[in-house]
Amino acid sequence: MPGGSMTGCDDIRERLLAHHEGELATEERLQVEAHLATCADCTREAGLIREALGRVQALPVPEPPAGFWGDFEAAVRRRIAAVPPPRPAAWARVAAWLGRVPGLRPIPALAAATVLGLLLVIGLVRTHRAPRDLPPVEALMVSEDLAIGQNLEVLQNLDLLEDVEVLERLDLLRQLGGDRRPRLS
Amino acid sequence: MRQPDLEVIQRVLAGETAAFELLVRQYQQEIYRLAYRLTRNAEDAKDLSQEAFVAAYRSLGSFRGHSRFSTWLYRIAMNLCLNHLKSATRQDPSEVDGTLADQRADSLAALLTDERDRALAEAIETLPPQQKATLTLRVHQGLSHKEIAEVLDCSEGTAKANYFHAVRALQRKLQAF
Repeated sequence: MPGGSMTGCDDIRERLLAHHEGELATEERLQVEAHLATCADCTREAGLIREALGRVQALPVPEPPAGFWGDFEAAVRRRIAAVPPPRPAAWARVAAWLGRVPGLRPIPALAAATVLGLLLVIGLVRTHRAPRDLPPVEALMVSEDLAIGQNLEVLQNLDLLEDVEVLERLDLLRQLGGDRRPRLS
Repeated sequence: MRQPDLEVIQRVLAGETAAFELLVRQYQQEIYRLAYRLTRNAEDAKDLSQEAFVAAYRSLGSFRGHSRFSTWLYRIAMNLCLNHLKSATRQDPSEVDGTLADQRADSLAALLTDERDRALAEAIETLPPQQKATLTLRVHQGLSHKEIAEVLDCSEGTAKANYFHAVRALQRKLQAF
């Protein structure tokens, strides 16, 4: 073992990248540095890491031709013009959806929506790791089918047995929702 | 002074859809370069980065602002690029490591006068897509391992391991000189 360090070269090399990036705790950093001071092989390895990352960082991207970015913006503009405008979730969309689903009576629909809302909340709490804004494709598909996932606030405010007023006004909600089924945008 | 992304997003969601162009203008070069570094093909990079903006526009209502908009946008762009790379591999796996990789590296190789740079560019082309993506996000976009994990939908440990293996492969390449 070169350098007579307490730590072997293999262990040190495992840490060279983290050392280069300043991610080691003080004790580990000092251990690595003590080893590097006496080990030519590991110092060469550290040099290669530094060189590789420096060169990779400097690798250029060929400059696009003149007018490229103007065309780029225009192309994006053209393409999004064909896409329905994005909208935040709104209670009217849930209400419209509830009014439009064939075969669903208001109370079962509200019950289903409330249960689904609770399940979603429980699921979110249980699976929460890092905040994620873009859900997996499967979740998008489920939410799209049910059009409820984004309207928990509304669902939480609906009292299943007592909020008769909402039930009585479903016709009005239907009118507000129009014929279009709400989309998840 | 630039308007914060979240404010621009709120304007778009409130119906001022033209404000989305501010986001396009702000991030188009970054997203294009990201796509280019992964595909090494200017035409593919253009298509994929445009597609990323269209997909972001379509899903803008689901953006909650828990992460930076750029991280969210990277995630969309990365998914598109990785799917693109996977489908290219499915079409003809032999081409990715050989002819196709050489063709992709051509336009970049023309810019590289140093043979060590050229060797590194070739080595990056042969990395598995996840490692290549991790390397790009870390080295060029300056993302933390946590952010990379978020973008690539993997654990932080996996992101670190991918980065470690990618750098080791490049290190080996330089060592061979």
